[in-house]
Amino acid sequence: MVSLLKRSLAIISILIIGYWLAQGLAGVPFGQDKMLVGHYYLQHVKEQTGAVNAVTAIVVNYRGFDTLGEVTVLFIASTGVGALLWRKKRERTAKTEGSVVLTTGVELLFPFIVMFGSYIFIHGHLTPGGGFPGGATIATAFLLLYMAFISYEIPHRLFENLEGIAGMSYVLVGLIGLAIGGYFLFDWIWQTWHWGTSNLGRLFSGGFIPVIYTIIGIKVGTELSGIVDNMLKEEVGE
Amino acid sequence: MNALAALGEALVLIGTFFYFLSALGLIRMPDVYNRMQTSTKSATLGSLGVLVGTGLWAVGDGLSWAWFVKATVIAVFLLLTNPISAHALIRAAYKSGIPLWQGSVVDKYREHIEAKASPGAAESESTEEGGEE
Repeated sequence: MVSLLKRSLAIISILIIGYWLAQGLAGVPFGQDKMLVGHYYLQHVKEQTGAVNAVTAIVVNYRGFDTLGEVTVLFIASTGVGALLWRKKRERTAKTEGSVVLTTGVELLFPFIVMFGSYIFIHGHLTPGGGFPGGATIATAFLLLYMAFISYEIPHRLFENLEGIAGMSYVLVGLIGLAIGGYFLFDWIWQTWHWGTSNLGRLFSGGFIPVIYTIIGIKVGTELSGIVDNMLKEEVGE
Repeated sequence: MNALAALGEALVLIGTFFYFLSALGLIRMPDVYNRMQTSTKSATLGSLGVLVGTGLWAVGDGLSWAWFVKATVIAVFLLLTNPISAHALIRAAYKSGIPLWQGSVVDKYREHIEAKASPGAAESESTEEGGEE
């Protein structure tokens, strides 16, 4: 009956914490216009960044440091998984192949999922989404391949190189901004070159947002696929 | 244009009705296999109705045809993937030994597996189509 005591104590403390949070939220006026910085973003996002999607403009352009940090977090997670699960000799240990329906379906769906993921990260400045959802979608396609086939493995050499190159090119784009505009992650394509300025709301606009989101999409896709690959392998005794 | 909107509304209504039937089947059916059968079939059909219906409805209300195209793409995707996922789920359920409903009378798949496990023992069940297993 210790577990019952434990459980009721946990429930009571969670209720207290929830009541406390609700009391805090009760003072927040929902549905009222309390924006300070938000107004600035909404009014200037188009001429300053060229993006129709204000969220991606803020995430990549106004506050690009955060996104760089997120990419770093993902990279560290991938490296950490690789380091934790490192063994000399590891193989896939799936016992049963998926049925013919499953393998055929995955074969048919795989290019479409990759295409859709690329669509998401290429159109990050126009439609909801961006690099992270697009990359996760692409990683899902590789996860499907892993699930349906016994001995599938991602092309490791290619993926690891792509991941590194993508990460470096993100920093490189920021450094070019530093060289041209004077601060890191300065949007040189839009602010200095005025490239695509007459093209607002179409694919070739948005300054460096599509470029950076393509980089992030490739990086996130390869990284999550690598994590899946690491986790699905087991040590083989020899 | 209003005929399109009316058609879309009717399709959405039909789709939600099939959604309701799907949820009802989930409650009413006795075992996993029957539940999967009712829920996947009618949920797929309901999704098709709702998606194509919203597309037509939007076009009929004066929005662009892009709505219809996107809704149709999602509908085709669902139509292709839902049966595959249902197949994988049911196959996994059978492989992990979930029993059929006690009212079931025939289990040809088990006979097939047993016939393959001991060839020559059961010639009488050799009439099945050769699946992969």
